Amino acid sequence: MGFREKLVVILLIALLALIPSRASAQTVMGISKKLICQCGCTLVLANCTHSECGSREAMTALIRDKISQGWSEEEIIQFFVAQYGEQVLASPPKRGFNLMAWITPFAVILAGAGVIYLAIKKWTKRGRQAQIVGAPESEEEEEKYRQQLEEELKKFAERSFR
Amino acid sequence: MADIGYIAQFLALVVSVYAAGAFILGWRGKHPALLSSARNGLLASCGLLTISVASLVYALVSHDFQIEYVYQYTSRDLALTYRLSALWAGNDGSLLFWAWLLSVLGAAVILQKREVGKELVPYAAAIIGVTQTFFILLLLTIANPFQKLPQVPADGMGLNPMLENPGMFFHPPLLLAGYVGFTVPFAFAMAALLSRRLGDAWLIVVRRWTLLAWLSLGLGNLLGAWWAYVELGWGGYWAWDPVENAGLMPWLVATAFLHSIMMQRRRGILKVWNMVLIILTFVLAILGTFLTRSGVLASVHTFAESPLLGASFLAFIGITIVSSLGLLYYRSEELKSEAEMESLVSRESTFLLNNLLLVGAAFTIFLGTFFPVISEAVRGVKVSVGPPFYNQVNVPIFLAIILLAGICTLIGWRRASLRNLVQHFLWPLATALILGIVLFILGIRQWLALVALPLCGFVLFTILYEWWRGTRARHRMRSENYLKAFWGLIMTNRPRYGGYIVHIGVIIMAVGIIGSSLYGVEKEATLTQGESMSIEDYTLTYENMDFYETESKAVVTATLLVSNQGKLLGRLLPEKYFHRSFEQPVTEVAIRSTLVEDLYVILVGWDEDGTTAFKVLVNPLVNWIWIGGVVLVLGGLIAFWPEWRRQPVPQSAGKRGE
Repeated sequence: MGFREKLVVILLIALLALIPSRASAQTVMGISKKLICQCGCTLVLANCTHSECGSREAMTALIRDKISQGWSEEEIIQFFVAQYGEQVLASPPKRGFNLMAWITPFAVILAGAGVIYLAIKKWTKRGRQAQIVGAPESEEEEEKYRQQLEEELKKFAERSFR
Repeated sequence: MADIGYIAQFLALVVSVYAAGAFILGWRGKHPALLSSARNGLLASCGLLTISVASLVYALVSHDFQIEYVYQYTSRDLALTYRLSALWAGNDGSLLFWAWLLSVLGAAVILQKREVGKELVPYAAAIIGVTQTFFILLLLTIANPFQKLPQVPADGMGLNPMLENPGMFFHPPLLLAGYVGFTVPFAFAMAALLSRRLGDAWLIVVRRWTLLAWLSLGLGNLLGAWWAYVELGWGGYWAWDPVENAGLMPWLVATAFLHSIMMQRRRGILKVWNMVLIILTFVLAILGTFLTRSGVLASVHTFAESPLLGASFLAFIGITIVSSLGLLYYRSEELKSEAEMESLVSRESTFLLNNLLLVGAAFTIFLGTFFPVISEAVRGVKVSVGPPFYNQVNVPIFLAIILLAGICTLIGWRRASLRNLVQHFLWPLATALILGIVLFILGIRQWLALVALPLCGFVLFTILYEWWRGTRARHRMRSENYLKAFWGLIMTNRPRYGGYIVHIGVIIMAVGIIGSSLYGVEKEATLTQGESMSIEDYTLTYENMDFYETESKAVVTATLLVSNQGKLLGRLLPEKYFHRSFEQPVTEVAIRSTLVEDLYVILVGWDEDGTTAFKVLVNPLVNWIWIGGVVLVLGGLIAFWPEWRRQPVPQSAGKRGE
């Protein structure tokens, strides 16, 4: 059957694509996307368009300077953190307390998924006890589906469900 | 004018308090006279607030600078349209607008002829009256738009020039209307709880009200994004700014609500959950109004700051949460689900997951928005939470939501057997796979694009496939021709097929977002006249710089000749405005927009010696976002549109809960 194999192929292609196609060159733009402009506008440095921004030019010039001195991206960013503190980073670093921000959303969603799983299990159990219906697995599946659809449509038309 | 407006506000307060009180005293229906007087009270408050709004508008239009608000947000040279839009440019005006909109919705609730949920109206009207009272109280005390100045200034300070854009004319009122609109479904939910009529009635009433608010908020957000793109001039449309987040959170939760009420109506499950969702939506909507207007979180949007206002909002939110959840808890016994399901794999499951993910996304955004506050409180360290955080955390969540939209379309209600799964998934999956391969051959190598774009293709195909099957069924059963069958299919169940059209809109938007965020290119260059720069296939030649003055501003214009692979495309004229009344110059970007990509030119600055700095971006597929938005709104309207056909009244309202 094609279903599972196709899934596998899709996943394989996705994996292939994970191999990075180009090394990201460090540029002023690249780095200034990871920093927050310190003029008080709270925007990412690369996005700050305040004409009278007090810090954009200085920060950008500093990045340009450090790149030409051969500093690595990480070093430059750490340099800014040392100067302004963590708030200069466009997103909290993934360690320590800040991990909470990164992990909690997924933890909450996983917990929710667990609750949903249990709820559905409970409801299915109740459903099975309530009625036992044979699964329609005959050739007329398509035909049945069409009829069901038509019925649904009629039902909707009559007792419009909203 | 100021006096008329203020007095009308005051009277509106008196009448609202009376109406809310009378509704509460009379909501059991024992005192018909009291109820009808309460109805008149709420209608009168609407009339009075209309007078207030009208007098503020009149003051704005007629340059009544004695009113501080008029002085602060308009000036003599401001165009009429922007004098009108000044109504929502500032704090006090937008709160008046809020209260007025709510009173209009309240009047609509009362005047609407309805068969279903009639008994709920007094309760809902009481809730609306109380909410309205809160806002009018603010208007009379902390945020009085009719505050007078000791003497009359000769001219006003003028509107922030960034707000002088057509997008700004519609974005704030739509956003506010969205926020306000969620009051009505919330009020009906509370009405159902208070009156113990917990059956279908409130869901039936609430669906279209929610849809209306949802559409308005969605359109408001979209126009905000468009405004940011063409006016803020940094080349993007969404910055995950706290105020943008505030508009997105209630929208996401309301999306979840719109889906999950289907589950309750169909299967009698999720009764408590639906209550929680609508309470959450309302609270987030109030929070949105509060974030926009309080300045708690630093943001480019925050055009007003007032700690007292913030405190009042927090108190209102607190009271709302405690009382509504308390009431819900008190009634929880009557909200037991009657659910039974046959299979773990069914449309119900996908709906549940969709709810989880939508609320999860809203939670992520909430956490990100407030994390700086949390971090400072816990560690004493200031951190920033910017786009990298939201993009990284939300992308997998949103992709999963899109995937579910596709799966959900293919899976039937109640149960899905492996056989029909395979049967129904085969073609859409094959299409997605082929699309992925084609994209790969075309040179797309970023894994996110290779996952996300086929995913979008998958969902689109499932919807088209579903339409095809439905059309064919009608064609066979009723021997209509295909076109007629398709039209009939859409029209017989507008909520459902409108919903599918909304999904298609979302897919188109997603493609635009993927394209522009993954494949955008930008370049900065300093040019002297006659010099060229190139970006992608474009060549831009800097021709000259112009300078001219208008009544309110001085304008600097740079002219660039644009060609693509040698083919001349025309000229782009990025500008910079220097307004007389504002120190900050405003950047007016020049955009050459096509379906494939936007060429986006920003005039950064210039030197005495004639060299001029430009920032040029090529943003692929941005137009798809706006087109997708239009499709989304269209689908929403189809789902919203009332059926003119006579239809049998659904059986006894509230039968389930009693």
